[in-house]
Amino acid sequence: MGKQILMKGNEALGEAAIIAGCRFYFGYPITPQNEIPAYMSRRLPEVGGTFLQAESEIAAVNMVFGASAAGARVMTSTSSPGMSLKQEGLSYLAGAKLPCVVVNIMRGGPGLGNIAGAQGDYFQATRGGGNGDYRHIVLTPASVQEMAELTVLAFDLADEYRITVLILGDGYLGQISEALTLPEPTGKVFEKPWALTGAKGREPNKIASLKLVPDHVLEEMNLSLERTYNEISSRECRSESYLTEDAEYLLVAYGTSSRICRAAVNELREEGVKAGLFRLITAWPFPAAALKRASLKAKKILTVEMSLGQMIEDVRLSVDNPERVDFYGRSGGMLPETEEIKRRIKAYGN
Amino acid sequence: MKTILQKPETFKSSRIKPVWCPGCGDYGVLNALDKTFKTLEFKPENIAVVSGIGCSGRFSHYFNSYSLHGTHGRALPTATGLKTVRPDLHVVTVGGDGDGLSIGGGHIAHAARKNVDLTYIIMDNNIYGLTKGQSSPTTPLGYTTKTAPYGVYEESLNPIAMFLSYDISFIARTTSADMKIMQKILTEAIEHKGFSLVYVMSPCVTYKALPYSKLKEITSPLPEDHDISDKMAAFKYAYSEETMYTGIFYRKEKSCLNERLQEVFQMAETSKTTSEIMAEFK
Ligand SMILES: Cc1ncc(C[n+]2csc(CCOP(=O)(O)OP(=O)(O)O)c2C)c(N)n1
Ligand code: SF4
Repeated sequence: MGKQILMKGNEALGEAAIIAGCRFYFGYPITPQNEIPAYMSRRLPEVGGTFLQAESEIAAVNMVFGASAAGARVMTSTSSPGMSLKQEGLSYLAGAKLPCVVVNIMRGGPGLGNIAGAQGDYFQATRGGGNGDYRHIVLTPASVQEMAELTVLAFDLADEYRITVLILGDGYLGQISEALTLPEPTGKVFEKPWALTGAKGREPNKIASLKLVPDHVLEEMNLSLERTYNEISSRECRSESYLTEDAEYLLVAYGTSSRICRAAVNELREEGVKAGLFRLITAWPFPAAALKRASLKAKKILTVEMSLGQMIEDVRLSVDNPERVDFYGRSGGMLPETEEIKRRIKAYGN
Repeated sequence: MKTILQKPETFKSSRIKPVWCPGCGDYGVLNALDKTFKTLEFKPENIAVVSGIGCSGRFSHYFNSYSLHGTHGRALPTATGLKTVRPDLHVVTVGGDGDGLSIGGGHIAHAARKNVDLTYIIMDNNIYGLTKGQSSPTTPLGYTTKTAPYGVYEESLNPIAMFLSYDISFIARTTSADMKIMQKILTEAIEHKGFSLVYVMSPCVTYKALPYSKLKEITSPLPEDHDISDKMAAFKYAYSEETMYTGIFYRKEKSCLNERLQEVFQMAETSKTTSEIMAEFK
């Protein structure tokens, strides 16, 4: 294992992409993710890779479409308003079954909002912000170490399932500097017989999300996508259960808000309160079974988000007796407070 | 045993037949591009067609080569992404006047700045064909369309002047009415290193904003003595109000995107600062 290195979350993510074999990056500047394109612009050419600053997020996602069709490992990154612009492209990538990695370092919204970290794009990420029946995998890192590790995983998942993998971070994670151990490449190789390569002696491949064929063919394609989505749901749910076994009070969170919750759990335990934390690592597929298990002994389940309540819908759908589920959130780039979480948990006991 | 180089009989797909209306100008472009690639002795696996959305955008399905059919108006960025991964492919990007000049109009300037080595064919029929006859950015002022029942009240664009101001490295205009000339221009465009733009006046026979009869009346070849390196002269012909000139307006040699990227690789190769730091931590 390598030595530890101090890096910003955004830069660790960039380096992890290089480790994973990403050699093409297209993006458009937006705070708080600007370190990613800056890092990629310097770093990619060193390893023979291509960085292009696109004229917009729309151009960037369509450049990704072209590069992915040619079989490359490719990434784009943005923050919330830019993510909205990419949605049409992501729907077309899904329709054409093209793999790619997209990063959203969320900021406060709606609209231009502000540049502080937030978690207001959970609905957009997990429900599909683009048109049509499609899904993408959503990974939710909570540390600089995880920004790097999940990025390496993202490229493998994207190629394995021919799908978009979205890394859903937030401005705090992007900006924070922490020590990490750089992940190793996984060495997995994925054949891409569908790509625009290697047509010598056979008919060249065509890639389109438009089906110029009878109507039922689109439904069949969607059903085949659904089979992939079901497979992902059964195999790729990821989460962390922290002190949940005997937890009477369960906190549910992801990303930066889960770090605040972990601190609250530690302090509550010191005071003898049986608190635990369930943390998402995948927001889609949602780790419903694991959450149900973690919540078995819980009298109350407090969902903590940096939004006015989005993930809470999935929490309610996953647990028995959903009337146990309560909510605490801060919005517009504000952070939930450890003291407030502790106050609420203690109030449940009275 | 002698290997016989098998040339494809045609680049027109044997599996998918065009659903364009009989007489649509786009057939002319399909035929001309097919002939051009045959004459240049290309093989299907050397070519990728990236198309926008519209009647013209269906082109990629009808062409026997690699093809990519993406979102409306974004064929140029899609082609740029493809070209960075496969610089060996001859990329032809195709689309209509709505796709290229309205929803996707912002991308042309940036493909020009990068001088991406590809050929962009815009088929201008002065109308939105696929969505059945709405106004496009080149519909003539006053012409009535599905969305301009009282006549179009926006002025139409002057695309050639726009392309000249973007300093696109090869700019030509031609028409579907003359296959021979289109083929000649396509050949030069494909052989040109860098971004080449071939603007084809390609009438829609169904919505008729630009009938063949009018095209015959208003077009005329650029004067033989036009110097294609003279941008100001090209501007003058682009702005001509009486005549729509056809032929090669402008051509300029400059380095293309892939060459510039090679230079960047070399600069990074000699510095490699980050690589060295990272190697310490692996
Ligand atoms: C985002 C989006 N908006 C609108 C459409 C509908 N649409 C499809 S083609 C087209 C315009 C086509 O006109 P043009 O580019 O001139 O091509 P033509 O059909 O005339 O060849 C429109 C508006 C679409 N497919 N996607
Ligand atoms: S509607 Fe017009 S542009 Fe479309 S296929 Fe018919 S003639 Fe061609």
